[in-house]
Amino acid sequence: MKIFRSHLLVCGGTGCHASGSLAVKDALIEEINRKGLQEEIKVVETGCNGFCAMGPIIVVYPEGIVYMQVMKDDIPQLVEEHLIKGRPLERLFYREPSTEERIPSMQDIPFFAHQELRVLRNRGMIDPENIDEYIARDGYAGLAKALTEMTPEQIVKEVLDSGLRGRGGAGFPTGLKWQFCARSPGDVKYVLCNADEGDPGAFMDRSVLEADPHSVLEGMVIAAKAIGSKQGYIYCRAEYPLAIHRLNIAIGQAREYGLLGKNILDTGMDFDLEIYQGAGAFVCGEETALMTSIEGKRGMPRPRPPFPAIAGLWQKPSVLNNVETLANIGQIILRGGPWYAGVGTGRSKGTKVFALTGDVNNVGLVEVPMGTTLGTIVYDIGGGIPKGKRFKAAQLGGPSGGMIPVQHLNAPIDYEKVAELGAIMGSGGMIVLNEDKCAVDMARFFMDFCQDESCGKCTPCREGTKRMLQILTDICEGRGKEGDIALLEEMAAIIKDSALCGLGQTAPNPVLSTLRYFRKEYESHIRDRRCPAAVCTALFKSPCQHTCPIGMDIPGYIALVRAERFQDAYKVLLKTNPFPSVCGRVCDHKCQSKCRRGMLDEPVAIKFLKRFITDNAPRPRIEPVPVTRKERIGVVGAGPAGLTAARDLAMRGYKVAVFEELPNPGGMLAWGIPSYRLPREILNREIDDIRALGVEIRCNTRVGRDISFEQLDSDFDYVFLAPGAHKSQRLGAEGENLKGVYGGVEFLRDFNTNESAWMKGEKSIGKKVAVVGGGNSAIDAARTALRLGADVTILYRRERQDMPAAEEEIVAAEHEGVKIEYLVAPKSVIGKDGKAVGISCRRMKLGEFDASGRRRPVPVEGSDFTLSVDAVIAAIGQAPDLSFVPKESGVTVNKWSCFDLKGLGKSMTTSEKYFAGGDAVTGPDTVIRAIAAGHQAAEDIDAAIRTKNGEPAWVPPKSEEIQIPFVVDEETEERPQAAMPELGVEKRARGFAEVELGYSSEEAIREACRCLRCDAEI
Amino acid sequence: MNKISLTINGKKIEAVPGQTVLEVARENGIDIPTLCYYPGTKLVGACRVCVVEIEGQRCLAASCAMPVSPGMVVRTDTPRVVEAQKMVVELLWASGDHNCLVCEANGNCELQDLVYRFKIEKPRFPIEPPGYPVERSNTMIQRDLNKCILCGRCIRVCNEIQVNEVLDFSERGSRMKVGPAFDADYIDSNCVFCGACVDACPTGAIVNRQSRFEGRPWELKKVRTTCGYCGVGCQMDLNLHEGRIVKVTGSRDHGTPNYGSLCVKGRFGMDFIHHPSRLKKPLIREGGELREASWDEAYSYIADRMSAIKAKHGPDSLAGLSSARCTNEENYLFQKFIRAAVGTNNVDHCARL
Repeated sequence: MKIFRSHLLVCGGTGCHASGSLAVKDALIEEINRKGLQEEIKVVETGCNGFCAMGPIIVVYPEGIVYMQVMKDDIPQLVEEHLIKGRPLERLFYREPSTEERIPSMQDIPFFAHQELRVLRNRGMIDPENIDEYIARDGYAGLAKALTEMTPEQIVKEVLDSGLRGRGGAGFPTGLKWQFCARSPGDVKYVLCNADEGDPGAFMDRSVLEADPHSVLEGMVIAAKAIGSKQGYIYCRAEYPLAIHRLNIAIGQAREYGLLGKNILDTGMDFDLEIYQGAGAFVCGEETALMTSIEGKRGMPRPRPPFPAIAGLWQKPSVLNNVETLANIGQIILRGGPWYAGVGTGRSKGTKVFALTGDVNNVGLVEVPMGTTLGTIVYDIGGGIPKGKRFKAAQLGGPSGGMIPVQHLNAPIDYEKVAELGAIMGSGGMIVLNEDKCAVDMARFFMDFCQDESCGKCTPCREGTKRMLQILTDICEGRGKEGDIALLEEMAAIIKDSALCGLGQTAPNPVLSTLRYFRKEYESHIRDRRCPAAVCTALFKSPCQHTCPIGMDIPGYIALVRAERFQDAYKVLLKTNPFPSVCGRVCDHKCQSKCRRGMLDEPVAIKFLKRFITDNAPRPRIEPVPVTRKERIGVVGAGPAGLTAARDLAMRGYKVAVFEELPNPGGMLAWGIPSYRLPREILNREIDDIRALGVEIRCNTRVGRDISFEQLDSDFDYVFLAPGAHKSQRLGAEGENLKGVYGGVEFLRDFNTNESAWMKGEKSIGKKVAVVGGGNSAIDAARTALRLGADVTILYRRERQDMPAAEEEIVAAEHEGVKIEYLVAPKSVIGKDGKAVGISCRRMKLGEFDASGRRRPVPVEGSDFTLSVDAVIAAIGQAPDLSFVPKESGVTVNKWSCFDLKGLGKSMTTSEKYFAGGDAVTGPDTVIRAIAAGHQAAEDIDAAIRTKNGEPAWVPPKSEEIQIPFVVDEETEERPQAAMPELGVEKRARGFAEVELGYSSEEAIREACRCLRCDAEI
Repeated sequence: MNKISLTINGKKIEAVPGQTVLEVARENGIDIPTLCYYPGTKLVGACRVCVVEIEGQRCLAASCAMPVSPGMVVRTDTPRVVEAQKMVVELLWASGDHNCLVCEANGNCELQDLVYRFKIEKPRFPIEPPGYPVERSNTMIQRDLNKCILCGRCIRVCNEIQVNEVLDFSERGSRMKVGPAFDADYIDSNCVFCGACVDACPTGAIVNRQSRFEGRPWELKKVRTTCGYCGVGCQMDLNLHEGRIVKVTGSRDHGTPNYGSLCVKGRFGMDFIHHPSRLKKPLIREGGELREASWDEAYSYIADRMSAIKAKHGPDSLAGLSSARCTNEENYLFQKFIRAAVGTNNVDHCARL
């Protein structure tokens, strides 16, 4: 045998072929020859390595260094550096996405580290076209043992002992299947291999056949001995040419070596194999249809009984096993059933191969022990969700399967658990879906697949799936109606119950599963004509507008910026938003998360463009609206919700008075958000516009203190309650009543009320400050304390990607010098003389996933440490203070200290006179949602009045029609978002000047040109 | 043979192994609806209207294809069963152009019967016929695939009983349809127009074209007769409307020799009966012209002429040729007449030609 210094294993699976591994291999051989290394270095083309997203992949042995995404042009450098100079080429190492660390060896890459390879033990290790390499790794040793040392009964027992269950999806115990067939009378029997893998997104079987075809042949010969068969068939879909090619080579080699054909291994046993190519019908993966197809007939299932073990192919007893099942057999016989059963869970033994695809960083083939949690597969092996998106669900089992949603990330994946969660193991397709996928649309997709692949034989499948698809399509396209969900459920139950074969019986599963976990999305499509994931395009003009809680015409004002019609753009903003310059600064811009441009490079900077308009266009004049209606309306709270409602009601001709406890209106905008983010004059300008309409704002008037609730009740016909959530949640830790311990919003409010005292040093936060929390108010408090000269550390109990604060806020805080300690939780505040002097903390590590899909922090024992601080700011959340509402009012408050809304109504409380909205209903939320709540309340109050008076619904006065131009670029070149010019860090240090400076006209127009105009109908 | 016992709807029943649940139920007066079931052909269990509940089984089972087993506990009347059956009928109704107003099968339609049986006012799904053109390629069979419920009975009789192997399914899923290879019309296919598919069709998808608009099923009177075309003696029903024969149908109930099967002539070759050119009275040629005569005159004329020829040229100068349209008895009498009365062995029969 020839000895080589180095072996280069080039992945030759279909995935890597597609990404160019054949060209890489040719270039490699050419380069090696050119350098005269052909006697020292051997290039081997292997089967699929598994990490398909990173192909083409080359592994260099004996070092075990793995190179990824190797291109033809990399080869000369690779050969020169690694093979000649002995210096591994770091730039082609795998780069861990979260840490950016470069990892040279396979076992250290998380994708591989968590896997346990049994079925795939030879993947990427051997040349699949060389039987000697298979034999060298114990190949055919199981066959030899079975044929020379074991009786058929012993083989069956070994397989029974292993607990192996059918990997094709149904999970029937393989040993039992063999036993039935072995006991079935008849001298002609068949061993069949199902390689008609057809689930969308599944490619386990293809990979096994391409990487290790002999393992399947070995399994089939052993099965033949167990049941007494002389002939086998591999039913492989014709779309797998490489698998068929390699299988044919393997069959030829096995015959040559006496492992197939007559008198195998001189034991007197005869068994031979043939490949039958399937013509691409999904239903032919169903066992009776597969057999009918091999018989040369139209591939349609037939009723069972008789079962294949009695009357299968050509009515003879037959055993049909899936590729992955058979690939396990050789090892089970060689190492014994108990070895195999050594991993796995109760009734699910061994390992399972999954094709991990979809919205996950590491797309590829993974083999894990049964019982591995979904979270481990998606996050540890799969590397999580790209672009920081959130995990929504994993679709298991393809069109016959179901979804496992985020709250079940801790679920151990085995047959029982998966079934309990309403999915099926299936053949192992695992499609990861992020938050941008619509559950109804997914159900529609799979139903479309099933109705298309239905053979048409039985009525429930043929007609039923078609009708279910119609209903789903109607829902997706805005024609859904009440009763659709009930009809879908009824049909799903009947089709499952009455269809002829597995295809029909499982076709409703994706619908049932999405209805189980995402029923609200269905209801949203049907009742509100809304697609929360902004996928179903028939329901909206553009994803950004659809996602905006107040439905701003985003493509419209962006187009007007592009056309340099800034004043018109401002008018468009004001149509829906009373606070555009506020939102241009502090909105959480949900719209941008669904911006289609983000799929290409980055979302359009919608928020910044909004701000640009309000900074640069002349402000439209506000005229007072005469009071035309007799009903008087009171609003409690002058935050964004209260003021929006007041404005809308004033515009409808109502007399509105707003009561505000604090000295100035604005709510959280004025008292919670620091002025370096939202300058006060900007805010006041917009509040003044609301006053100018005729709205009266009474500041320093707390209901229950300055005016009694009874007074309010008698003075006004309707009241909108929007007092916000201004009470910090308590730490619940010892020492939190010490001096120097602040609540986040209380600190910010105190600062904003007494700014000059703080700035002059009459009030001081101290030199060292710890801020506890990870939301926007924690960051606001930290950056404010920093500006007061403190050394600030944020303590957050999870990791950075889990922080609810806006990414740009976190980055800005870091720039300014705020230190952030992750995975740290406070234990107690340490005091001296009644004043805080330190905070005792404990390090955390991440444990199981919680219902939101974030890992729950758990304390690390013995990791306690103390930070000495002068002040602790606890910014871990806020709650409303609704103590001003007396019980007798009939307005009830729930266990979260928020207002209860009445049934399906959108803003009415439990009393018909009182409406509520904003943070006092939802708990702490965003500005834009508060504005939306204000609009809703105005609408509801007006509607209640008009209904009571028997008046027709309000018709908004005709407003100026603004033509939106439609201009798009012929071609779109990739270009990131325009950066927001910012105040230098050195200038920010001790002042509250606005940090973000706003776009220039050129920047804004250029940015506006990035809009893809999804709203256009062409 | 050892009988096995099972329970259907709470009733203990004895059955022979190998029987299906459907057979046993019907034998015992328990009615289970069927559509695709067609005795004498392979059990396909396709339409799913015959589903029943079997204790211990996860799904409903098609009773037509489910063999009985000892101790089996079957229910045919639970809401679960009835709802599934109703849904199947509802889906089939909505899948096609089942407009009974103009349907030839109105009153003789198994789908219509089931819609009525299940009291379905209207399907909950929009009625969407596939929109195929109606095939009127020939004068015998009219095919309207918009009324086809894809039960496959025509395919099975064509392949398994007639063994003509003309019909099969093509396409998949809801696009599936029945027809000769390559979507050909009957006339361009290997079809021999035995018409078995017409008798097998449970709806109005395949109908006898000759009788279109020639009488509603309930207005027709069936008269059983023996086919006159050949000596097989096929049993068939003449369908009479107001005294006119409008079509011929086979009936499996008539048993031997044909068990309902007919050939193209027997089924469709009956237009001569009411044809205006049909000879109804004997004609005698005189001076090159044919003139009507009475039977007595005609018989006398024939007897005179034959006697004269025989006398002049001997009996072998005469020959007799009889017809397959005659019954065996008539043919027997005919040869007896030729041999004994005429005195010659020159007698033959058209079926030998």
